[in-house]
Amino acid sequence: MTLESKIPAGPLQDKWDRHRFELKLVNPANKKKFNIIVVGTGLAGASAAATLAELGYNVKNFCIQDSPRRAHSIAAQGGINAAKNYANDGDSIWRLFYDTVKGGDFRAREANVYRLAQLSVNIIDQCVAQGVPFAREYGGLLDNRSFGGAQVSRTFYAKGQTGQQLLLGAYSSLMRQVNAGKVEILPRREMLDVVLVDGKARGIVVRNLVTGELESHSAHAVVLATGGYGNAYFLSTNAMSSNVTAAYRCYKKGAHFANPCFTQIHPTCIPVHGTYQSKLTLMSESLRNDGRVWVPKEPGDNRPPGQIPESERDYYLERKYPSFGNLVPRDVASRNAKEQCDMGKGVGETGLAVYLDFADAIARDGRDVIAGKYGNLFEMYEKITGEDPYQTPMKIYPAVHYTMGGLWVDYNLMTTIDGLFALGEANFSDHGANRLGASALMQGLADGYFIIPYTIGGYLAGTKLPEVDASAPEFAESRSQIQSQVDKLLSVSGKRTVADFHRTLGNILWDYCGIAKEEESLKKAKQMIAELRAEFWENVTVPGDAADFNQALENAGRVADFMEFGELMVTDALERKESCGCHFNTAYQTEDHEALRDDDNYCHVSVWQYTGADSDPVLHTEPLEFENVELTQRSYK
Amino acid sequence: MSTQTIDLTLKVWRQHKNNPRGSLETYPAKGISTDMSFLEMLDVVNEQLTAEGIEPIAFDHDCREGICGMCGAVVNGRAHGHMPETTLCQLHMRHFKNGDTIVIEPWRARAFPVIKDLVVDRNALDKIIQAGGYISINAGGPQDGNAIPVPRDNAEKAFNAAACIGCGACVAACPNASAMLFAGAKISHLALLPQGRPEAKKRALSMVRAMDTLGFGNCSNEAECEAECPKGISIREIARMNREFIKAALS
Amino acid sequence: MNWFAQNISTAIGKKLLMAVTGFGFVGFILMHLAGNLSFYFGKDAFLKYVETLHTLDPIIVVVELVLLALAVIHVSTGTILFFQNRRARTTRYAVNKTAGGRTIGSRTMPYTGFLILLFVILHLSQFHFIDHAVQTPWDAAVDTFNNGLFALIYMAAVILVGIHIRHGFWSLFQTLGLNNEKYMPLIQTIGIVIAVAAAVGFFFVPVYIRAVI
Ligand SMILES: Cc1cc2nc3c(=O)[nH]c(=O)nc-3n(C[C@H](O)[C@H](O)[C@H](O)COP(=O)(O)OP(=O)(O)OC[C@H]3O[C@@H](n4cnc5c(N)ncnc54)[C@H](O)[C@@H]3O)c2cc1C
Ligand code: HEM
Ligand code: HEM
Ligand code: SF4
Ligand code: FES
Repeated sequence: MTLESKIPAGPLQDKWDRHRFELKLVNPANKKKFNIIVVGTGLAGASAAATLAELGYNVKNFCIQDSPRRAHSIAAQGGINAAKNYANDGDSIWRLFYDTVKGGDFRAREANVYRLAQLSVNIIDQCVAQGVPFAREYGGLLDNRSFGGAQVSRTFYAKGQTGQQLLLGAYSSLMRQVNAGKVEILPRREMLDVVLVDGKARGIVVRNLVTGELESHSAHAVVLATGGYGNAYFLSTNAMSSNVTAAYRCYKKGAHFANPCFTQIHPTCIPVHGTYQSKLTLMSESLRNDGRVWVPKEPGDNRPPGQIPESERDYYLERKYPSFGNLVPRDVASRNAKEQCDMGKGVGETGLAVYLDFADAIARDGRDVIAGKYGNLFEMYEKITGEDPYQTPMKIYPAVHYTMGGLWVDYNLMTTIDGLFALGEANFSDHGANRLGASALMQGLADGYFIIPYTIGGYLAGTKLPEVDASAPEFAESRSQIQSQVDKLLSVSGKRTVADFHRTLGNILWDYCGIAKEEESLKKAKQMIAELRAEFWENVTVPGDAADFNQALENAGRVADFMEFGELMVTDALERKESCGCHFNTAYQTEDHEALRDDDNYCHVSVWQYTGADSDPVLHTEPLEFENVELTQRSYK
Repeated sequence: MSTQTIDLTLKVWRQHKNNPRGSLETYPAKGISTDMSFLEMLDVVNEQLTAEGIEPIAFDHDCREGICGMCGAVVNGRAHGHMPETTLCQLHMRHFKNGDTIVIEPWRARAFPVIKDLVVDRNALDKIIQAGGYISINAGGPQDGNAIPVPRDNAEKAFNAAACIGCGACVAACPNASAMLFAGAKISHLALLPQGRPEAKKRALSMVRAMDTLGFGNCSNEAECEAECPKGISIREIARMNREFIKAALS
Repeated sequence: MNWFAQNISTAIGKKLLMAVTGFGFVGFILMHLAGNLSFYFGKDAFLKYVETLHTLDPIIVVVELVLLALAVIHVSTGTILFFQNRRARTTRYAVNKTAGGRTIGSRTMPYTGFLILLFVILHLSQFHFIDHAVQTPWDAAVDTFNNGLFALIYMAAVILVGIHIRHGFWSLFQTLGLNNEKYMPLIQTIGIVIAVAAAVGFFFVPVYIRAVI
């Protein structure tokens, strides 16, 4: 099969306009004849569901949580980018476009990224109109800050709760449509399959998480906005229910998966402190503006930090990257932290942490200034660790944070299954091999408010869609398949709990398919995952029964998918014999230990096709063409 | 702060199909690290229960960083436990002592029926928002974000009200199971912004009415909600809602 | 009128009724207290005050009717709220602790209110529904407080009134939407002053009467 990206012709700036003009329109009176399923209520899902309903479509909107407002987007802290240039510091759509493409290490589509930068401007207007309480200046106008190493101030924020406020904005629009009878919310439902009729996505099967019942829902199109799969690593900054299941089951039905190994690892998280640990908490990277990162010079030096004299400390980022120092990009900072810990210089009880020290900043600016900037972060840190960062240096360590990979989509955000669209973190689209800070929120909302409402119309208007309802045999077949998996999970009655398997899987992926990868260890990981997967089906124990609220069963299904998917991640990592962005293979690096791209052979999207449980997936590639930017090598020396 | 391990006794509310009226069951929780969060402690207990063939305790949770509002239980008589401005997922075991007995109950309110064990149905909170907790604009071409200046003070107050995570602790803590703090937070958030003014009247009237029909109690200004709210929402938001309601009712 | 019924029956509407009627009561209590202070100046002074008051008779009738109406509204709404609020939590907590929001006053509003109601009925039967030709108010006081039990009941009742007002006063401002950081501390203080003044002021009337007779 060929991957048709459907990128419109013409100059970059005009592509989206032109495309919108060329897309077929659904007659306003006909819109109410179309039913659309939106899975997910994060920024992408909620904005899509609300907007489609505003246009007149009938929408069913699903989520795992008890309320759409709790989708994982709620946790985003830092902010959302937009090329408003309110700060008058030289920002523009073109600059945001360029920064994003470059930040992604030239592994994203130019046309998509440009459209994203264009739409960023509308997003802010939309959110302000919805009542999102962005930070403001004394004059009453919107405030901006610079974020994630950007040289312009283009990040809009609402204290440290930007994701929450944006999501509540989208959620309020959604609630308005529920009230208007155009959206039906189905919470506490987990999508377990997409149902194809005549090769087109015509519905989904979900498990009602309260009753355990498998429900069928039919529609004219299905929109997937189910977020990222960082939880494959067990520990991540993602919410506990974040999963790959929805996307993976679509993959199994024929939606190809793009760049599964592109995972972003955030350098400043609160380190792991015990095996019981269930998740990792992100500390805003703004901390690196004033904190100094160091480890003891001697491996195994376990004196308390206060007793280690200056001369025996290694401020390794400042030493290695004199001009950027502690502010090197996320991937560089993460990699270096791991390197130090691998050398035995890690600190804390587990030896898997480095210090982020504010002593000098406090001495220089005074405690009040530091408290003014980071007070709430310091409090959060103290709440979790019981240590006061004003007194002792913080301990930080990198953690899995975001997945750039996802279902492959064309310019219309449609997957390789007709009528199945993917939005937000669930698709692979705009961030290439590395996502810039404050760009995920922007992408989710661009997809939901401003792209899918047009492109889905083009699909619906241009496609023959005979009536299909949930009594179609395809639904029954899908249900019985799911039922047999559920029964199987419950009947193994082995010895190891689901969480235990998940932890083991996470360790494998983290150790071998994490911050830095090597061919040999990747191969080993693939083997280990296959073995773990085999053991899972023989030795897992899932208590309770199917027709009930059963969280262990929910997790079991997700972990089963993570295991299969983990193999795909490793396969993808093995195949990409270069380093780019967050994908760092130690065999491919510059003298300065920077990611060394191979643009001749790997300037493409790796797109995987499922071929069956026991056969290897097939690789397709979508070549990336850069007509508007020049491919350069990053350097932070 | 050094890590210690403590032994606890849990008395947990168990309620499900086979025990529809529910009861408190006692389980030991041994060797709990003081660095664990409360939910991680429950995870550990659940692993033990699973190993013993007892069904694990059902409890809601998701972000585990105090922002999604999914978690929550009444711990020793206090919603989200005894630490101020802390959600259950952010409550750490270092705040308990070796040998403590911990009684864990679900949110209790007629409007929040128990689904299983500690899991309750908080759909009623969404219904309150559906009654008017929004600004009626469609996605499309709103005016520029900077077209209407918002005094910084108001923007900040609106933010403080909008910080509500919809956890329902206020309802759980309220002696009358009233949802006034939750509703007050949303009405205040929107009333404080110029964008929210056009619909302020309709919003106040219909959200308050919705609250009644959903089976919540009435406020008697006990201020327990404010004391338990993990986001520090003040009962001044309730006063503001009352003001909005009076204005709306009289005009 | 429909809009009125619709709005007044909401959670906030009912609270407004409580607040407005409660405010009226506080006003009455203050006037009553002021009048009763003349007890402390002896029988003659007191009866002189009663006499002056009687020159206002037509107004007093109106005041009495208003008070009666307020009482009916306050008591019946309070009763409705009490039962609705109980119903809003079908299963009680096994362990229930306060987070520090509630006060003795706020906790006991319906109970102090109910006891005050009983007291007022008793009080009216002893002071109001008597043959004023036979008994001056002073005589009524003397007769009542002569009985140690009644004296104690009155002294206890006025403390309950103090407790009810301690919460009721700031609460009514909150209900009316008048709570902001600047003024609330002042309102709180005024509430405490009124509560203490009422409790202390009434408390010593029986003590004083028993002392002078
Ligand atoms: C701690 C943290 C901080 C972040 N900070 C920022 C930031 O400052 N700026 C920024 O731009 N980005 C940030 N990000 C990234 C960003 O938050 C996410 O990428 C983005 O919110 C994803 O949105 P989404 O709508 O795609 O998915 P999500 O918000 O994850 O929503 C997924 C939805 O799908 C539902 N769902 C999932 N699976 C199923 C299923 N099987 N069946 C039914 N429903 C399902 C869920 O219930 C949920 O409603 C941060 C991420 C994290 C973890
Ligand atoms: C001297 C007599 C009384 C005074 C001064 C008085 C005053 C008040 C005030 C000011 C309030 C607060 C209203 C608010 O919060 O908005 C209140 C509340 C209340 N009163 Fe009274 N009251 C009196 C008698 C009674 C009586 C006789 C009852 C009877 C049964 C009663 C029952 C209540 C109840 C239950 C409340 C609480 C209502 C709520 O907040 O839900 N009160 N009162
Ligand atoms: C020691 C305390 C008190 C004394 C000595 C006292 C005395 C009196 C007297 C002399 C009257 C006038 C009777 C008449 O001429 O009709 C009266 C009326 C009344 N008192 Fe009191 N009182 C006391 C406390 C209270 C309290 C605490 C309340 C309320 C909670 C109260 C409520 C009333 C009412 C409602 C009336 C009727 C007013 C009217 O008919 O206009 N009293 N009281
Ligand atoms: S007001 Fe506070 S306690 Fe109530 S739902 Fe919101 S965050 Fe939770
Ligand atoms: S789990 Fe999200 S707030 Fe506690």
